[in-house]
Amino acid sequence: MSSEVKQKEKVDMDPKYIIELTVKLFVTCLVVAGLLGGVNAITEDRIAAINWENTQEAMTAVAADPENTTFNETPLENTQAMIDAASSAGGTLGAIYEAQVNGETAGYAVTVSASGSQGTIEMMVGVDTEGAVTGVSVVSHSETSGIGTKVIGNEPTASGVGVLDQFVGRSAADGTLSVGSNVDAITGATVTTRGITTGVNAALAAIGAMG
Amino acid sequence: MNLKKQFMEGLITQNPVLVQVLGMCSTMAITTSFFNGLGMGISVLVILTLSNVIIAAMRKIIPDKIRIAMFIVVIAGFVTCVDLIIQAFVPALSESLGVFIPLIVVNCIILGRAEAFSYKNGIAASFWDGIFQGFGYTVVLLIMCIIREFLGAGTILGGLLEIGEDGQLAFGLGTAAGIQVLPEQFPIGMLTLPVGGFLVLGCLIALMQWALAKTKK
Repeated sequence: MSSEVKQKEKVDMDPKYIIELTVKLFVTCLVVAGLLGGVNAITEDRIAAINWENTQEAMTAVAADPENTTFNETPLENTQAMIDAASSAGGTLGAIYEAQVNGETAGYAVTVSASGSQGTIEMMVGVDTEGAVTGVSVVSHSETSGIGTKVIGNEPTASGVGVLDQFVGRSAADGTLSVGSNVDAITGATVTTRGITTGVNAALAAIGAMG
Repeated sequence: MNLKKQFMEGLITQNPVLVQVLGMCSTMAITTSFFNGLGMGISVLVILTLSNVIIAAMRKIIPDKIRIAMFIVVIAGFVTCVDLIIQAFVPALSESLGVFIPLIVVNCIILGRAEAFSYKNGIAASFWDGIFQGFGYTVVLLIMCIIREFLGAGTILGGLLEIGEDGQLAFGLGTAAGIQVLPEQFPIGMLTLPVGGFLVLGCLIALMQWALAKTKK
């Protein structure tokens, strides 16, 4: 910023000048807002379609019978009891979508988030009508590359089963899942595994509270 | 204004990344695969050129006192437009760059060029300044991407090409793993982490300064 600009800034602040500034900034904002509205109108539908496609893909990955399952586009309504159940299990409940096979409810795809080692892990947990997990996949995360990402990539634990696959078939009836007792962690990525476990617990709790 | 001089400034003597040291955050964060670098570079080039032209056109009516606010409004408008367009038409890119597209709003290169160049120069010169500075930024990003991807993951052209299971070159926008050049046990994974970004950028800046100092003599 040159010194000549700085000197100009000492100019008196008479009301006219202030009004001029306000009007100019306001008009600029108005024009930019109009432009944004236009672009938004053009892109809105495409973005919504792409998002729904991605969500569907993630949900299909956790369904028990991926080929025949369809999902209802409107998520179920989350009751306060479900939200509370999820948060007391340590996670945050997102949207719950109903999975249907031949028009009948086959289960639910639950988006939950829980904290991992570096930040929030957002995941999709498939739960069938009996309350058993049908699959777990991670939607977004910021875990350490090469360590925490082993969990995200579903690498096998010491028992030889994929770390995400081990949740399949578990239900709330098995008691609270926890790393070390009934969940195997990947060596070096215990905190990430714990985050996933918390998310699964929260999803099961929310479905349990659905009644 | 001399086009050739402007081109050399954008690419070398006033290179936005290596000489002006602007836009560091995105430079560190996204230069892990060729596709990311290319996408980010082109996005910045487009936004920089548009905002440069508009600010140059408005420079006579923008009051000095609120110029920064006006710049930011114009820049934020364009960034949001580009962000929405990328989300709608190149979803793979918006997925891999994530928050760094909206963050172009606060990328110092764009505000810096508005303040230092287009607020004082004509529309045509500002247009070329946007193109050349954006090009200089893109080139540095691509160099960093190539180095970090090659040494960090052992691949080249990640996000664009890969060798499919049938042994043929396959094109996959944003999804291709890249062509494995180094055997898998050699790459240094650290280079794809932020610390690797700092190391590579530091070396490039040093190299650039050395070359500039040498040509001056």
